[in-house]
Amino acid sequence: MHGPDVGWYLVLAALLFVTGALGVLVRRSPLIILLSVEIMLNGANLALISFARRLGHADGQVFAIAVMAVAASEVVVGLGLIVAMGRRNVELDVDKLRTLRG
Amino acid sequence: MNAAAWTCLALPLASALAITACGTSLSRRAAGYVSTATAFGSFGAALAAFALMLGKTPGERAQATTSWTWLSAGRYSFGLTLLTDQLSVLMMLIVAGVGSLIVAYSIGYMDGEDEERRYFAYMSLFLFSMLLLVQGGNLLLLLAGWGMVGLSSYLLIGFHQERPAAVAAAKKAFVMNAFGDATMALALFLLVQQTGRLDYGGVFAAAPHGGAVANLVALGLLGGAVAKSAQIPLHTWLPDAMEGPTPVSALIHAATMVTAGVYLIARTHPLFENAYVVEDLAAGLGAATLLAAGLIALVQVDIKRVIAYSTMSQIGYMFVGAAGGAYPSGMFHLMTHAFFKALLFLAAGIAIHALAGEQDLRRMTGLGRTMPHTSRAFLVGCLALVGIPPFAGFFSKDAILAAVLDRGAFGWVLFACGLAGTFLTGLYTFRLYFVVFGRTGAARPHLHGTREGPVSMVSTVTVLAALSAAGGFLQLAPVWTPLTTWLTPAAEPFAEASSWEEALASAAAVALGAAGIYAAYAAYVARTLRIPAAWPALERKLYWDELYDVLFYRPADLAARALRRFFEQPVVAGSIGEVGRGFRLGAGEVSRVQSGLVRAYVLALAGGLAVLAVVFLSTR
Repeated sequence: MHGPDVGWYLVLAALLFVTGALGVLVRRSPLIILLSVEIMLNGANLALISFARRLGHADGQVFAIAVMAVAASEVVVGLGLIVAMGRRNVELDVDKLRTLRG
Repeated sequence: MNAAAWTCLALPLASALAITACGTSLSRRAAGYVSTATAFGSFGAALAAFALMLGKTPGERAQATTSWTWLSAGRYSFGLTLLTDQLSVLMMLIVAGVGSLIVAYSIGYMDGEDEERRYFAYMSLFLFSMLLLVQGGNLLLLLAGWGMVGLSSYLLIGFHQERPAAVAAAKKAFVMNAFGDATMALALFLLVQQTGRLDYGGVFAAAPHGGAVANLVALGLLGGAVAKSAQIPLHTWLPDAMEGPTPVSALIHAATMVTAGVYLIARTHPLFENAYVVEDLAAGLGAATLLAAGLIALVQVDIKRVIAYSTMSQIGYMFVGAAGGAYPSGMFHLMTHAFFKALLFLAAGIAIHALAGEQDLRRMTGLGRTMPHTSRAFLVGCLALVGIPPFAGFFSKDAILAAVLDRGAFGWVLFACGLAGTFLTGLYTFRLYFVVFGRTGAARPHLHGTREGPVSMVSTVTVLAALSAAGGFLQLAPVWTPLTTWLTPAAEPFAEASSWEEALASAAAVALGAAGIYAAYAAYVARTLRIPAAWPALERKLYWDELYDVLFYRPADLAARALRRFFEQPVVAGSIGEVGRGFRLGAGEVSRVQSGLVRAYVLALAGGLAVLAVVFLSTR
């Protein structure tokens, strides 16, 4: 076993996740929220890979790759939407974007 | 013999199915021929069964044949069993014989009606149901047949479905019969509980003797018999049932279905013998009905209703006979009555047909000149009905009257009622004859081509007239009794009349019947007897309909109104409105949670997750 214990990696993953979650909760710009969601996903990825290392299974790494693929497509859609909104001069503030409320 | 019995039962069903399935690809006339041919085929099969039975010794004549297990539940199983014995073969001959004649008559009577195919399909269905009733080898099949004849009767009474009166009459008949079916089903439940089986032999062997249960069983069966046979107090449907076509009245409401009650008593006689009280009640109801119906028949003005009341009255005699223990006499009267009552209805049908549907006595006079053949046939029927020797009614009715004398004091009461009924029979029957055929008034012009109707109608009436004239010679108690000997293994009578009783009953009945005829002659032909103004109570049919109106209809109507007013509108309808309002209010409150603030949703999500995490971690 080289390097620090797997526990440290998990702590880092938790920190990343909480950072992302806080970003989603407190920021109002859709761009930043999207970014924070990516941070949360990467936190989760780190946890998956750490457990894969700890348990000696490749499953966690496979999951992490799947998550990356999903995150990439999500970013494509999300960024596309945000760019479209910016072009139409819509104010980029999630608290003001309430028109889809049922 | 078993094959003959199955053929007899299956042919009418096949006919009903075929006519229904072929629909319009079968011409109207062909439907009539199919129905008639299968009915005659059924009669042929019944004759074959009878002939084969004659070749056996009396002990071996009763045979049951099971095709498959019809119902099986737990320890109970009931087969689709046909019982062919002396009693059921007699009924098969009567039902299929008279039935086929009447179906043949219908070809002429229904010619040109709309929906002849439906009529003939119903007629075949009725024949099947009635044969199932008499051939069924256990009480469950009997009940199935019992319900199905009620259904066919309902369909045929309401055949003219465009007439509200016909629909109302059909409904009334169905409801009253359903009441009888229900009491009968209750009796069957009791029997299953007590004996665990429903085949005749097993039930009779294991049924309780005396006591409340035996009485209740007999009472339930009696309820079915009384409803089906239109005896007091469940009789009011029969006169209204005359709304159906005349051949239907002849077949169902005179010759076969309404006599099923008598067959039931004869068939289940051991159960009735276990409950003497109920047996006496049945005889008493029969006596009351024969008097009441005879009185009401005196003042009715619709020719078919007069004959209908006369039917009730004659079935009253059969009840007195069968419940009095003289089963062969009751069955004998059932047979002769089938002949002469079918004859009377069919002859009246010819007159009605010729007058284009006129049924009011007061407007159908002097038909004797224009239709002499029908007039003669009707006269034969009348004489047989009154019981003038040598016509059929004489032999059978007097046998019943003589047999009840065996019953002690109660028997004398029944005897007196029966004799009074004979006088009434003579009076109302010949009132009908003198008014319709006797008086020399001008008849209305005939609207149909031939003078007395088509061959199919005239020939069947002739056959029935011959049977009514000669059918009684089958038995002349106490000298010549083949019918009693034949039926004894199936239903052994416990009331046997002695010679002097027979002589007394015959003499008194004939004398009173003749007196009735003379009274009718004096009142309606010679005009020497002033007709008393009809007693209003008789014209209102002794207020039975009004009584039921007050007893059942009005309270039900009141209760329904009260329920609607005090329960349905405030509680049911109100509560539905309140529930709706409550949901709308709740939904309004809940929808405020959906603010559109994405961050609020995420906070709720994160908070919920945190709570769940704490809960799971702390309870590990």
